[in-house]
Amino acid sequence: MLLYLFRRILLVIPAFWALATLVFLLSRLLPGSFAEERVLQSDAGFYNKSDAASREAAYTAYLKKSGQTLPLFYISISPDNIPDTLSQIFPEARRQQLQQLAFKHGSWEDVAAYDEALERFINPLTPSIKSKVSSQLQVIRFSHEKTEIAGALTTIQKKIAELGAPQNYYNELTLAFNTLSKNSEPYSFLLPELRWNGLENQYHQWLSAIIKGDAGSSYRTSRPVSEMLWEAIANTFWLLFGSMLLTMALGLLLSIQMSRGKMAWLRRLSLPALFVLDSIPMFVLALLLLVLLANPNFLQLFPVYGMGYYQAPDLSYLQRTAQWLQFMALPITCLVLVNLPYITNQIYSALQAALHANYAQTARAKGLKEVAVIRRHALPNALLPIITLTSDFLPALVDGSIIIETVFAIPGTGRLLVESVLARDYPVLVAIVVLVLAVRMLAYALAEGGYAWADPRIKQELS
Amino acid sequence: MSLLWQKISGVWQSKLGFKVSASYLLLLLAIVLLLPWLPLPFAPNHLDLDYTSVKPFSERAWASGHILGTDTLGRDLASNLLYGARTAFFIAFPVISLATLLGTALGVVAGFYHHQGAKLLRYQALFYLLAGIAFLYYSVYVPAKSIKLGLGTSPAGYALLTFFSLVIVLWIVCRFLLAKVTCFRRVWVLPADAVIMRFVESLSTVPRFVLILVLAAFLPPSVPLLSLLLIFTMWPASARLARAEMLRIKQLSYFEAALSIGSPTIRLLWHHAFPNLIGPVLIAYIFGLGGLLTLESTLSFLNIGVPGTLVSWGRTISSIRTNTAAWWLVVLPGSLLSITVLALYTCGHYLSKILTAKA
Repeated sequence: MLLYLFRRILLVIPAFWALATLVFLLSRLLPGSFAEERVLQSDAGFYNKSDAASREAAYTAYLKKSGQTLPLFYISISPDNIPDTLSQIFPEARRQQLQQLAFKHGSWEDVAAYDEALERFINPLTPSIKSKVSSQLQVIRFSHEKTEIAGALTTIQKKIAELGAPQNYYNELTLAFNTLSKNSEPYSFLLPELRWNGLENQYHQWLSAIIKGDAGSSYRTSRPVSEMLWEAIANTFWLLFGSMLLTMALGLLLSIQMSRGKMAWLRRLSLPALFVLDSIPMFVLALLLLVLLANPNFLQLFPVYGMGYYQAPDLSYLQRTAQWLQFMALPITCLVLVNLPYITNQIYSALQAALHANYAQTARAKGLKEVAVIRRHALPNALLPIITLTSDFLPALVDGSIIIETVFAIPGTGRLLVESVLARDYPVLVAIVVLVLAVRMLAYALAEGGYAWADPRIKQELS
Repeated sequence: MSLLWQKISGVWQSKLGFKVSASYLLLLLAIVLLLPWLPLPFAPNHLDLDYTSVKPFSERAWASGHILGTDTLGRDLASNLLYGARTAFFIAFPVISLATLLGTALGVVAGFYHHQGAKLLRYQALFYLLAGIAFLYYSVYVPAKSIKLGLGTSPAGYALLTFFSLVIVLWIVCRFLLAKVTCFRRVWVLPADAVIMRFVESLSTVPRFVLILVLAAFLPPSVPLLSLLLIFTMWPASARLARAEMLRIKQLSYFEAALSIGSPTIRLLWHHAFPNLIGPVLIAYIFGLGGLLTLESTLSFLNIGVPGTLVSWGRTISSIRTNTAAWWLVVLPGSLLSITVLALYTCGHYLSKILTAKA
């Protein structure tokens, strides 16, 4: 039994690893991280009291601190052989030129030498000279076409000679450029070249931290991710747990009643009603409940949003629960209503299958009452599909809780997920995926335990 | 095919529910397709700031021409509803069609090769492997990189050219190996079923909505990208269905007979499996369409993955947040969405009834 459970859990781990890796690599490969947007944005804001140079310095420091200057993965493919110092080059367009040159001409060393010579050439120029050759400077700093750069360099040489400025830095620059164009392998990107980066890479660091249980800290709030999750998880847990229990209880009750011969009217009434209920999307139902029952313009029966701002400290346990229930009533109702059709349908058909089996017929033939046949004979045999259903039901509930928490502004994991998606807060996203997978594994384990409990044959088989 | 059509027309005549819902869907579809040529008084994104939050059918509504009212920014609800339907169908139809196509193809392959695996000669396997790697590098990585770096399309063109010539060279080399080296003639069995099903399982360990949300965080909000994402997360369901059906069909005696007289694989799949498969796939298609309409509205309600300028039911519903007294912003689009989904589910329900009654 335990061995079987263990194998089942082991099967989930590769999927889990693949997904987490995918999310991590995507989050690092795609441009426009949260920090970049916040630290480097030029319009007014909290971080932007300083000038561009210090913003860039802050950004570089941030990259270094968060380890983002390291190579991304164990191996990299050339022409992607951009070294780690690249991210310290500003402005962005300049960085792009170097990347373009490296991509087109293959040799990063020559590109770096060109960049260095360029800096040495430009820095001592006086503003008056700079303004005279500004368009050519633009070209040599931002273009990736060799012919354009060469043309601009000759123009600059003429103008500098006219103005009588020092030539030595210029010669160095042309030398570097000539080396670059001489060594250039224009189609080097057609020949992939694998490079081994060693263990000092972002992926390795992230993975080892995750295995140690450290999920990093949020880009958005700078707080540890585990702390944020821990705060959010309780609300979600109670929401899920409460609605799951209630849905299962209601579903069982309804299907038992529907299975009785006398209750044909209930069957005729509730099956179409459930069918209609099934086609109402969850967020529409949630908003309808919110607009109708928690709105000063219609019926103010429930508190509107969230879990309340203020909680008196000296409330008894009962009082606190009552207050909590007030806030949770609508969300739980909504989740139950949305999931009830599917659950009831499944339980009902499992029960029907059991009622048509031979043993049920025997039980009826020996004169047992209908309720007793259902309770004692059909229900235990219908339990197996119901247990499968319960564990499969969990993802649907998680999906539902995301929407419900967003609509009702409950500070839970679902809302945290939506907020992190909107803010592109990747560490939190990765952590939530991990959490969801862990819950899934737990559900598997519980379901296996449930099978063994419901069917002694399985217990024997598994042990 | 004609049998299926006969059955559908049979239900049409005998069941009122099917008739009503199918004609509703056809009507809605016609409106959605003809929408740009219909004379609507207001464009969906037109802001009529003189008439904000107009109640439907009130005096102000009749006076202003916004019969179904407006939202807090003065956008006309009627045209938003119709254009929202257009958006929903324009996203849902291609997505569900492509996802069903992809999922069914992979599922059929998985089911067909369930027992024996796909047999390949070793040189073929080697060729496909190397060509696959070359495809990833030259047709995906290099073009993506050069476009990202702003180098234009010429490096991508060179890369594609290299890819095609490489494939030809590879093919010649592999043929040569086949002729000269005997060990390349041996059969190599590809466990197609296991590979595809492992992939499907990994995709479905995370709840679908969570997966969509997390992946949407990495994409800029745009409709084509969101559609790709939806296809990526939708296909496992139809792959599972097609695989299960294929396994069932393989057990049928007529299929075994066709197999035993040595029909080629293509003929087996197209002539013998496909007609048996289409019923369940069609039902799943209809239910999936309903699910996608809901999903699209939910995503645009959360404002995830879609641009804010996209007219959709979800966006209209989400504007309730700025004015909670405006019940019509939830009730009208919500009921339109629910009725459409209900009509789809009703059609699917009746279809599944007749199609399973035969089996």
